[in-house]
Amino acid sequence: MTEGKTIRIDPVTRLEGHGSLTLKLGKDGKVKDVQFNVNSTRFFEKFLEGRPMEEAPRIAPRICGICPIPHHLASVKAVEAAWDVTPTPTAVKLRRLMIEAKQFSSHVIHFYALAAPDFVYGPFANPADRNVAAVLRDLPDVAVQAIKMMEFGQELIKTVGAKAIHPTTAIPGGMLTSMKEEDRDFFLGRLEEIQQLTLNTVDLAKKVVTDYLDVITKVAVTPTYYIGLSNKGTLDIYDGTVRVQEPGGEIVADFEPKDYRKYYGEHVAKHSYATHMYYKPAGYPEGIWRANTLARCNVNERMATPLADAALKEMRELVGRPSHHTFAYHYARIVETVQAFEWIAKLLNDPDICDTDVKVSDVEPKAGNGVGIVEAPRGILMHNYVSDDKGMLTKANLVVATNNNIAGIEKSLMVAAKQIFEDKAHEGLTLPEPMVKR
Amino acid sequence: MADPVSIAMGQGSSCWGCFQSLVDIHLNLATVLPALEIKYWQAVADFKLHHLESYEDKSIVVGLYEGMARTEEDIHLLKLMREKCQVLIAFGSCSCFGGIPGLANFSDIEECYDVKFRENFTVSGGKVPSENLPGIAPVVKPNNSYVDIDIYLPGCPPTSKLILTAVSKLLAGEPIELPPHTVCHYCDREKKETPIEKVLRPYQGIADPDRCLLEQGYICVGSSTWGLCEGQCVNKGATCRGCFGPPPPIMQDHGANSMAMLGTYAPLPPEEIKEQVKDPLGTFYRFDYPTSYLGKIRIKREEVKKT
Repeated sequence: MTEGKTIRIDPVTRLEGHGSLTLKLGKDGKVKDVQFNVNSTRFFEKFLEGRPMEEAPRIAPRICGICPIPHHLASVKAVEAAWDVTPTPTAVKLRRLMIEAKQFSSHVIHFYALAAPDFVYGPFANPADRNVAAVLRDLPDVAVQAIKMMEFGQELIKTVGAKAIHPTTAIPGGMLTSMKEEDRDFFLGRLEEIQQLTLNTVDLAKKVVTDYLDVITKVAVTPTYYIGLSNKGTLDIYDGTVRVQEPGGEIVADFEPKDYRKYYGEHVAKHSYATHMYYKPAGYPEGIWRANTLARCNVNERMATPLADAALKEMRELVGRPSHHTFAYHYARIVETVQAFEWIAKLLNDPDICDTDVKVSDVEPKAGNGVGIVEAPRGILMHNYVSDDKGMLTKANLVVATNNNIAGIEKSLMVAAKQIFEDKAHEGLTLPEPMVKR
Repeated sequence: MADPVSIAMGQGSSCWGCFQSLVDIHLNLATVLPALEIKYWQAVADFKLHHLESYEDKSIVVGLYEGMARTEEDIHLLKLMREKCQVLIAFGSCSCFGGIPGLANFSDIEECYDVKFRENFTVSGGKVPSENLPGIAPVVKPNNSYVDIDIYLPGCPPTSKLILTAVSKLLAGEPIELPPHTVCHYCDREKKETPIEKVLRPYQGIADPDRCLLEQGYICVGSSTWGLCEGQCVNKGATCRGCFGPPPPIMQDHGANSMAMLGTYAPLPPEEIKEQVKDPLGTFYRFDYPTSYLGKIRIKREEVKKT
């Protein structure tokens, strides 16, 4: 190579946000810079200002159409924290049912629709083939399995949340509607088949992991900090404290959501509208953390449910703890899918799930500052609102799942780019034959 | 089987919820997807922008554009979709009216940058990013001010049923005919024609599950909103916030209609209404401020600044 070169990938595909990639190679063929350019922003923090704070849970979900439920719930938790409101126990169960159902359907869509085309057709296939429509054509049984699982999750959200996308039923003090017994019974009747499909997915994922072990253990292995919600060491996506783990594996912070400002660092990069989050005490870029499936599995000791915990142990035998293997995010996603299913089954079998005591009646707005944290499928999600004495929202600070991953994505892209452009490491990888050849 | 119909799906500044709603047609995907030849859909297929740019003009039968267009790239993609597609559909309320992100027009863009990049609880002293990034327009302008739209498919998001109906009709080459009713038509609650004595906020008290929410004092804009949702929120206890916009004619002023509607239900003195309705702009114009009369004045003001 005689002179430098810039490679642009625009847009980055098979992700549901907005991004492009800029890679700069020097004259010597060395990778000089890798940028993940998140190229859009909509200013939710600004236009939440001036709204009655109880409206935030109805506005904020529009940040993400894949993860509107976590936004709805982080938002309502922030309002409740600011106003000192405690929802009823049944309302909390319904919220958890909704967020577990979202985790389930989102993880399934990610694995089957976004990621699987790479495994089915191989990473070097024609773009016209390397997508979920082609999977549906070539492997209809697998696709139907995925669709049934997504349907189960999305329809369950709709039942509890009124809408599967941008739900509307969580309100400061609880929920606006209870679950009808006939609806509960319908989903109970679906459990057996969905459990089987979930276990089939685990088997499929294990095959993929075995087939692509060389890729998983060699490509884009990137040590970073990790952040995730934890219920005393157990992986939890609705409630808990926030844990931060340093690259060596030690838990360096375990704090209440309201104390987040001590630990959250936010760096404005010159080339991305999405900011870069990092562990503040370690500084930037040293403290860059990652969130999402693998991060949650890293920061926690165990899963909350038996089948998922067994799956986590199996995963750790292969990748250890902490795992810095970027491709192990897929594996962790499947482990979490199992936990989401088991939580759903447990909640649907809870004798109180159809109780009608779903909302307290004496909610009063007041001046306050509240933080709500839950886990979205792509990582930890934080809403922080300030209200005046009339309950009007005067300030909002949001750190969404993606912000916790942007810097980490860029870091792992740099590792991968060096492997590809400098070491040609991809040429020596052992790859399986594609499941489908075209 | 008939030849697949070519389709391009573009995404402006949006949340992907409309596409998630398309995916939520569930097992119908098994018949719909094979009937489509996907020419561009960044979240699903690996075609890049240069692929879309390389197609012949009007060579794609159907285009769906989700989201509003605020960045230079959004606007470029919207215009490109118009050039390449025979039928362009504004897919979802952001694409039809500006949607919730249109609320950003309440503020000046510098104020937006302040809380996003310059000073907030976790960010301090940041500069507005600009390297390898598209510029952001000072205000959200409706997509139909950039290109001609053939079909408006509103909703935040459009329901999966509505999408399936529309796509099936398009594939069959038939016109899409949609019922014109408002949300109230689909609401199971009883109206007793009793005037509102006091406007309530949605967390106050416990609502009667069988009576009209508006008549109980909870602001619900169902009576001025297109009912393509079939009443999904109101039948689960949540007031309507108008996410499907106005019934046809689709560009009528939804916010003004909603306020007029409240006036007929709540015959209160203006000072009392003003005191009790905390956020009229953010309540009645939540999904369609950029296409409203007021919103157009706001956009005009920005254009005057430039000259």
